[in-house]
Amino acid sequence: MMHTWGAPARRVGARLLVVAAVLASPAVHGQGFAAQWLTRVTQAARSLNYTGTVMVRQGARFDTFRLAHQFENGQESEKLLSLDGPAREIVRSATEVRYYFPDAKIVQIEPRSIRNVFPSLSPEQTANLAQYYEFKLSPGGRVAGRVTEMAVFEPRDGLRYAHRFWADPTTGLLLKSRLVNEKGEVIEEFAFNDVTVNAKIDKDMVKPSWTAVPDDWKVVQAGPGELVMNDTGWTVNKLPPGFIKISEGFRKLAGKRDPAAHLVFSDGLVAISVFVEPFTVTQTQVGLTQTGGLAQYSTRSDAFRVTVVGEAPPATVRQIAQSVSRKTPN
Amino acid sequence: MNENISRLMDGEVEDVEFERCVAELKSAEAMRTWMCYHVIGDHLRGGYGMSPKFSLSLSQALAAEPTVLAPPPRRVTQPATFAWAVAATLAAVTVVGWTAFSMIEVPPTAVARARDAASVRAAQVKPTGDVPAEYLLAHQEYSPAFAIQGGGPYLRAATATAAPDAAPSAEPRQ
Repeated sequence: MMHTWGAPARRVGARLLVVAAVLASPAVHGQGFAAQWLTRVTQAARSLNYTGTVMVRQGARFDTFRLAHQFENGQESEKLLSLDGPAREIVRSATEVRYYFPDAKIVQIEPRSIRNVFPSLSPEQTANLAQYYEFKLSPGGRVAGRVTEMAVFEPRDGLRYAHRFWADPTTGLLLKSRLVNEKGEVIEEFAFNDVTVNAKIDKDMVKPSWTAVPDDWKVVQAGPGELVMNDTGWTVNKLPPGFIKISEGFRKLAGKRDPAAHLVFSDGLVAISVFVEPFTVTQTQVGLTQTGGLAQYSTRSDAFRVTVVGEAPPATVRQIAQSVSRKTPN
Repeated sequence: MNENISRLMDGEVEDVEFERCVAELKSAEAMRTWMCYHVIGDHLRGGYGMSPKFSLSLSQALAAEPTVLAPPPRRVTQPATFAWAVAATLAAVTVVGWTAFSMIEVPPTAVARARDAASVRAAQVKPTGDVPAEYLLAHQEYSPAFAIQGGGPYLRAATATAAPDAAPSAEPRQ
């Protein structure tokens, strides 16, 4: 059974944890090690120039993309081109993300650049990572023609998934990852089939195939609006242990009129988002949906619709959704 | 019939089939199968077996239940069906669980375990579809495990918005 800890209790708990970790020296080593490994691999994905073919599997769905990533003058540019299924092209620059759908003649423009949230982990997240996952590093065999190191994050409870990562030990670039559920099934997978690291990336390789949007295309300004950081007045009463709030505010969701409260919690490895919006008759769907390792559970709470989305088992996402309530005034 | 009993125990029976499956348990043979499956399951999980009188008590309780002869409800929309499936599964587990545990003496830990299993199972009812794009797009940037991939969260967005109609459609204004 989950316990509902008040914020002060959680803070004290975290401090005790740090003290305990300091007293047990091997834990300190393990704790820092997992976070350091994640940070290194994150930095590599951002700051290297690379190109390759990427395979993505989510549940039963399978997609292949051509990927080119450029890091120049401190800015990332990236282009993803789908190689099977419906044609899709995603181009990210410093200022926007464009999703091109040539079959439907639609371009969706997101006027901002994301991936700005995870530069490194806070000390509390680092401690949580070590407490709720067992971290192991071992030789990982070959992926995309390269010898890899394999990092395993094994959950210590049933509230989260297991993660396996294969990285290039020389450059730190992630070459393959797997999300594994409690039954040992791979529910999401990412892998380079071939990759060139430290490649020379021409400007054209990270530019859209269309220099201007063709006249007969539809332009959709449809990204989620920027998050306006604020106290939303909402709280989660049964937050799984190890998750701490990393963001809170209001934002507009694509295609929706009213702003939604958006709270984000992380255990250092994955994130869980809580959205609270006014309940409208046009949007009555409640229950569970799932895309690979991402689960979503929506429920109605009086005049509001609570939606929880995260890389966690459906039971965890559901537990959070059903425990969202208005903060009681002190 | 045995397959239905197994599905009933695994929480895989749809709401429309539920009454029929429970009605099937009224036969002595079905009850023996049901009992047998539970004993096997309990032993595999290293738990305790049921009391010898348990199946008798349960069949008496079931015999006292009226058989519902109403036609199964027509499916309306997917979300509604799903919601009812969850409700029915929970209700079924709760009713059977409560009846069962009130008739025999079981350690409180077993009750708690069964309740946990029931709540997890209810959440494991098959999802109705993909995560809606608007939530995925707003959520995707926050996950450390996906920020480390080349292409990062965009790979997910790319697969999520694969269908042309997935470019988020505007909600009708009120």
